[in-house]
Amino acid sequence: MRVTKGAKIATGTALLALGVAACGGGGGSSSGGGDNPRAATGTVYIRGCEPQTGFVPGNINETCGGTINDFVYSRLVKYNSDTAAPELDQAESIETTDNKVWTIKLKPGLKWTDGTPVTAKNYVDAWNYTAYSPNAQLGSFWFGDIVGFDKVNTADPDGPDGPKEAPKPETDKLEGLEVVDDLTFKVTLTAPVAVFRTKLGYSTFSALPDAFFKDPKGFAQKPVTNGPFKFVQWDHNSQIIVEANPDYPGPEKPKVKKIVYKMYKDDNAAYADLVSNNLDFTELIPPSALAGDKWKTDLGDRAIDGQQGVIQTVTFPLYDKEFGGNADFRKAVSYAIDRKTITDKIFNKGRVPINGWVSPIVEGFKDGACGDLCTYDPAKAKEYLAKAKAEGYTPPAEFPIWSNADGTHKEWIEATVNSINQAFGADSGVKFVHKDMPTFAELRDTITQHKIKGAFRTGWQMDYPHIENFLNPLYKTGASSNDGLYSNKALDAKLHEADTATDPAQANALYQEAEAMLQQDMPAIPLWSYGLQAGTSKWVTGVKVTPFGVLDPLSIAIKEA
Amino acid sequence: MGRYAIRRLLQLVPVVLGTTFIINYMVWQLPGDPFAGRCGQRPCPDSYVTAMREQFGLDQPILVQYWNFLKNLFTGNLGTDFNGVSVATQLGDAWPITIRLALMAVLFEAIIGIGAGVLSGLKRGGFVDNVVTVATLILLSLPIFVTGYLLQWILGVQFGVIEPTVSDAAAVPELIVPALVLASLNMAFTARLTRTSIVENLRADYVRTAVAKGLSNRRVVGIHLLRNSLIPVLTFLGTEIGSLMSGAIITEGIFNIHGIGGLLWRAINGQDYTIVVPVATLLVLVYLLSNLLVDLLYGVLDPRIRYE
Repeated sequence: MRVTKGAKIATGTALLALGVAACGGGGGSSSGGGDNPRAATGTVYIRGCEPQTGFVPGNINETCGGTINDFVYSRLVKYNSDTAAPELDQAESIETTDNKVWTIKLKPGLKWTDGTPVTAKNYVDAWNYTAYSPNAQLGSFWFGDIVGFDKVNTADPDGPDGPKEAPKPETDKLEGLEVVDDLTFKVTLTAPVAVFRTKLGYSTFSALPDAFFKDPKGFAQKPVTNGPFKFVQWDHNSQIIVEANPDYPGPEKPKVKKIVYKMYKDDNAAYADLVSNNLDFTELIPPSALAGDKWKTDLGDRAIDGQQGVIQTVTFPLYDKEFGGNADFRKAVSYAIDRKTITDKIFNKGRVPINGWVSPIVEGFKDGACGDLCTYDPAKAKEYLAKAKAEGYTPPAEFPIWSNADGTHKEWIEATVNSINQAFGADSGVKFVHKDMPTFAELRDTITQHKIKGAFRTGWQMDYPHIENFLNPLYKTGASSNDGLYSNKALDAKLHEADTATDPAQANALYQEAEAMLQQDMPAIPLWSYGLQAGTSKWVTGVKVTPFGVLDPLSIAIKEA
Repeated sequence: MGRYAIRRLLQLVPVVLGTTFIINYMVWQLPGDPFAGRCGQRPCPDSYVTAMREQFGLDQPILVQYWNFLKNLFTGNLGTDFNGVSVATQLGDAWPITIRLALMAVLFEAIIGIGAGVLSGLKRGGFVDNVVTVATLILLSLPIFVTGYLLQWILGVQFGVIEPTVSDAAAVPELIVPALVLASLNMAFTARLTRTSIVENLRADYVRTAVAKGLSNRRVVGIHLLRNSLIPVLTFLGTEIGSLMSGAIITEGIFNIHGIGGLLWRAINGQDYTIVVPVATLLVLVYLLSNLLVDLLYGVLDPRIRYE
């Protein structure tokens, strides 16, 4: 058969299409040359994601929104990007004699981006709004220490599932908050809290301008703020733009004019953009690039390697006879986990084994709280397993460690269960396995309803850099995130003693003692602390990453030509 | 033909009602509370969970919820998603991009796929045929994400011919490579389908008659052979439009295109039915309409097919 003309036309079109494709979209990447394309506009591009809520600080609890929130709002206290130590920011002084009554004085001359002054009333109004339960703010529980909280925030008597509704609170003003004058207010707590000053750097403790109360919904989409950057626009699912605030009074001013928070669905896409210098910063290097330290070869001196205040633990459901185990069983499991090999092989040393229940970068951290319980020792693991059995605990034949399939936990949990099974030996009568629930929501639902059958992964990302944040919310009887329902009267007493200590150094020492007490029962097994892998483009310099694992917006600067 | 089209359109009504009900029901049945996972390791405050459930009507029985959904759908008020952002705006932003990408992909599939198919079919066993066979084999064996990352890495990062990711505007030139990636697999399918069809029809009586009548080669191939051979290809491309409209989650992810696929993916992960349900409903409509269009086109291509 001959080649026909019709066919020739068809081929021609096909080749043309290929040709167009090959050169399509070309000429965009501006590599090489001495010119820095960022210098002209003063704009930098950083990786972002779509926030879950609007920009009301008391209602933000996830990093997508939290990152921008921290760029645009200043608080009474901020944390040093290098040392994580709390420093005064909007506050001129925060004073107390008994850790119970705190007098907070603001710096004079602070302004909101709409020109109105930042006053003590702005702080008090914002805190009252967040704490008042009918406003349904996510951060409401943060004000639980303040006198009168139970009168503004009422609990639903049978939980959200029950038919009863929460009673309307008596008042919408916290009794413990008092405006003294324009720049001073007084906070009275129900009991002494040693770390209250440190807590004040958490986003929920921001102020809100009067403009917020006129239109909360509209404000959430385009807030008036008091931070180093001001909010410009939010294109949903695509980008958020913030601009340097010319009135920002801090000693360190923003070094760029504009930050574009570009949203990516896939870390790999962001990484490809970073390598080709289209993106200036990402704090999420994808696993494919971490493998074999490929990212360090790709990025060279543009790679940033650090630590962040997040730890990974495995928690046991202590309320469950079958899977709660006893103390010696949990110690046996801890001895059986080869943390070093797992962090080396699975995470390429991107995570660091920990020897306690607290992140190594926070105030009050003391190495070795776990004793030798957190070191890999198969012989001791066997010994403790035998002890646990002798005490009358019979572990189930199959012991699951649960995680959520929508996160990236499968690999390390499988390595962990292998490590445990090998250390225990084939004749131990218990086999650890990894099991998944489809989503994080479902996993958390099962855990908080105390119905989980097996141990489960728990991670704790610090709210503020202090040892207290890793103990009180997690191990105190009845605490909000005490998922395993651990209860130890002696520990509670020690924590209370620390909370109420007036001398910070003494409080820290008491917290450390409390941490060491966790050794007795091992309610949760410490595994490792998260490292931080970030990267920058060749156009920017000076970039610092905070202990919270996000960009310090004041540090980023554009390289000169 | 007109009557047939109207009848088919009327059939859409029960299908749309049925599918939307099933979708609503299934989303309702998903385990886990959509708001429980929103506070990380801490439980969410009760007041927040109660307020959100009330706002989105999750405390109502399923039938009431479905009724509200229908009411809102027909009044064009899609409300906001769980993040408090207008659903209609999000769909309005994402859909044009997805449509652009899908149409470009189908265009590539049609032009390159049919072109290559015709070429190899006409010269069966020849050099071109062998090249096409090998090329399609390679394309068929490569998963889309491999092709996607490979092209992104080579063209975007190594040679800098294109930007590795697509900008927010997602203009047509930027979408060429993603559309090619998206089309790659089905381009190969189309080529093979066309080739088989052509080879089969070349032996048909009407082709022999046409040649014997002394028609020009161009007319034989272009009018008689191609029109008949395209029917199975068209069926394939028609359903393809439907599935491409639902967004290409993988391709959109690789090139960071803000289309429907990513929106749907995020909504499914967050159990945000306020987005899942309207998108799924629109997809059902797109599928039904594109199938109808294909059925009507049969009549144009093959004179033997008539609709009453």
